[in-house]
Amino acid sequence: MIGQDILMVLTILMFLSATGYFVYRMLPIFRVMQKARSTNRLDNWPRRLSFMLGQVFGHKRLLRLRLSGILHFFIFSGFVVLMIDVITAIVQVFDPHITLDAPLAFVVDLWAVLVLIGILLAVYQRAVIKPERYHGSDERDGYIILAMIATIMIGIFLHESFYPFAAPYLFHVHPSLNPWGFVGYLLGHLWLSTHLASNPVVAESGYILGYLLDIGMVFAFLAYLPTSKHLHIFLAVPSIFLHKTRPHGELVPPLPEDEGMAIRTFTDVNWKDVLDLFTCTECGRCQAVCPAYAAGQPLSPKMVILELRDALRKELNGEDSVPLAGGVVKAEELWACTTCGACQEACPVFIEHVPKIAGLRAALLEDGEVDKNSQKVLVGWDRQGNSFGQPPRKRPAWTKALEAPIKDARKEAVDWLWFVGDFASYDPRLQELSRLVAQILQQAGIDFGILYEGEANAGNEALRLGEFGLFETLAQKNLKWLESAQYNQIFTTDPHSFNALRNEYRKFGFEKPVKHYTQAFLDLIEQGRLSPAPLRIRVTYHDPCYLGRWNRVLDAPRQLLERMGVELIEMPRHGANSFCCGAGGGRIWMEEVGIKERPADNRIREALSLNDVNYFVVACPKDMSMFSAAVQSTGSENRIKVVDVAELLAQAVGLSVPQSAVAIK
Amino acid sequence: MHIAVLMKSVPDLVEDIALDEHEGQILFDEMSYVPSEWDDQALEEALVIKEESGAEVTAVSIETQDSDNLLFTALAKGSDNAVKLVGDFDLSLTNRQRAQIFADYLHKQPFDLILSGVQAIDDVDGQIPGLVAGIMGWPHASVVTEVRVKDQGIILRQEYAGGLVAEIESSTPVVVGIQAARKPPRYASIAKVRQVAKSRQIEEVEVPLSNVPALTVRRFYKPVASAHAEMVDGDVEDVAARIAEILQERNLLRR
Repeated sequence: MIGQDILMVLTILMFLSATGYFVYRMLPIFRVMQKARSTNRLDNWPRRLSFMLGQVFGHKRLLRLRLSGILHFFIFSGFVVLMIDVITAIVQVFDPHITLDAPLAFVVDLWAVLVLIGILLAVYQRAVIKPERYHGSDERDGYIILAMIATIMIGIFLHESFYPFAAPYLFHVHPSLNPWGFVGYLLGHLWLSTHLASNPVVAESGYILGYLLDIGMVFAFLAYLPTSKHLHIFLAVPSIFLHKTRPHGELVPPLPEDEGMAIRTFTDVNWKDVLDLFTCTECGRCQAVCPAYAAGQPLSPKMVILELRDALRKELNGEDSVPLAGGVVKAEELWACTTCGACQEACPVFIEHVPKIAGLRAALLEDGEVDKNSQKVLVGWDRQGNSFGQPPRKRPAWTKALEAPIKDARKEAVDWLWFVGDFASYDPRLQELSRLVAQILQQAGIDFGILYEGEANAGNEALRLGEFGLFETLAQKNLKWLESAQYNQIFTTDPHSFNALRNEYRKFGFEKPVKHYTQAFLDLIEQGRLSPAPLRIRVTYHDPCYLGRWNRVLDAPRQLLERMGVELIEMPRHGANSFCCGAGGGRIWMEEVGIKERPADNRIREALSLNDVNYFVVACPKDMSMFSAAVQSTGSENRIKVVDVAELLAQAVGLSVPQSAVAIK
Repeated sequence: MHIAVLMKSVPDLVEDIALDEHEGQILFDEMSYVPSEWDDQALEEALVIKEESGAEVTAVSIETQDSDNLLFTALAKGSDNAVKLVGDFDLSLTNRQRAQIFADYLHKQPFDLILSGVQAIDDVDGQIPGLVAGIMGWPHASVVTEVRVKDQGIILRQEYAGGLVAEIESSTPVVVGIQAARKPPRYASIAKVRQVAKSRQIEEVEVPLSNVPALTVRRFYKPVASAHAEMVDGDVEDVAARIAEILQERNLLRR
């Protein structure tokens, strides 16, 4: 009995010390979460649950990268399935009569083999393929974890195969080799044929070694987790359950009176933000899709999370705290972000990078630190309500060249209220487009109006630069008219305004329906108010971040193109995985320092890789500016032309398209 | 070191100057006002000095209209005090009057260093710093791009024509007209200005309007353009032909 007693005591000691240490390391993290801000992540739990199950067991996001997804599924499912082994192995020590039934023994062995295959693939990926996305991750940690898991698998086979030979001495029972546990069965026969099985010392040592490599390593693993990226084993599932369900495009939720947007310490973030830091798996999928990172800028969304996590760990170890904004995360990193949200879209554990970056920007801004060009724009918004440094009264100047005047929605009721936005109002090249949109609406017989000089910038970018107060001021300016004017729906040509009006103005109680022009034009065609003639061209379409990714308007532009008889060839990165033009989050105004390849140039090259596509269709005024410049800077004027979807529609419905805006001759 | 920064708002030139062409009068009340950019530079330099060697900074403005926002912004950026000079003033004050008002306040105060913008859009000849210094009988330097405190004195960097720069030493008190601060003026976030407006006070000091020598402006008017630029429109061929024609007309073509 002595051998069994030792194993029982050892198991209890390992269990107590490992869980004790695990709790000891985890408690400080939960204390930080307690002190952090509140956020409601338990509402609508049935929907959260089904979403979580799809992500966890369906591996929806993980499988976007085929090899990683498959190998992760092998290892992950092993963790779930092999709990059977862990429980049986432990219970067996206390009650040796328990053995695994036939199918379960098969399942355990099969999964242990799958996990080993997963580990081989993982090592192959890390050592041979070496994806760029791991740059900056703790690779040593990755290998340690893989070695630990492999050890557990070896332990499983060892104790399983030696059990029938060790059990008579250790536990005084006489089990036989179970052919269903096929790996153990084969190994058992190997021990028999090599006479190892008949030597009691070897059999007992083999079993105990296997047990320690399996169960002992499981407990060692538990103790190792709190300081490893593998904490995601415990945190990923809850993190996915607790994912953001408020409007996707809403950067800042309604703030209590005494709370600002700025993140200076870990008490300025919400508890889910803290959880995010320790859930990060360092997989680098965010880094791989980040336009700033691709452009050679000093930003990687992964490193922002890791820098914050490591800073918090240091604080918890009693080191002096370093300012988060500008210290832990450098100002250059923060200002490089385009807030395109590709990182959040790629993250398999649903970390929210952008609100953290914007909050840290807000702290810099409060200290007066901001890129000087952006500062001019902020001041311009405050004084004139636009980013062009133009007087507000010039906002409607583009309408003067129209034959039929546009109604002033401040003075009379209209059906559609058109929120024009800064670029479409002030940029001379885009004014042509705005006039085309007006003509399309006039042809469709829509009763529409604009707010004339009553409109101000919607504040989407001010908020993303971290200037909540200015966003609020701009929103109030617009709401003054948006709330008093009479109209049935808002229509906007600008995805950034669209996002602010639709998602950010909710905090002020504004909930009128807002449509992007691609949606509204599609409605008009479906109602038979516009009948476009087929254009018969091949194009590719660029999803604007604030239309596609942040607001999930993906089908309307595509259907609209289809209705115009346009053949759409998709770029590899499209839909919610579109690649940012580089203009968002205030980047359009900032100095381009140290950029290797502009995101817009990168994108145009992607479009050029398609066969026989001569038109690059955009649905955002900023995209028109960015990509027209990119076509020039990549010297591709003869190969591809940037056109706005409104130009195509104008052409399709027979309007005369001005030469300066014209796409197709 | 106690620094005063003289600040004011000026018409925002993004909009046209409001002018009653018939009366030849500027319609001061019909324009929007923004902080004078050179005064912003002066404030920034004062704040840099404060961060560098310690100083107490006081922003001072004459209330000719609402100057609270200007002063709260200065406090939000890091000024220690804000003073509003009140009296029977309006927007048509001449610079000579403004200088007198500033001097009447300043001579009772223990300031070591007075900074002002070197000029303003309504003070293109940069009278304020010079006049204030003259009235008080203090030393003065203008077009300064750097001010440092050294021992009990001040070291200034002043720009000269012909690409020369002078390093000037002065005892205190001294009045300096700032051309540009060492770094671009910092940003004051709207939320911070609002918070400062709730929590901090602007000191009001009453100052009489003394008689100073004055000129009379007979009228403001927009000069009549003597010649117009010719805009050349049309497609590339037409434009090129017209440009060639103009060059020929003016005998600028060499064959």
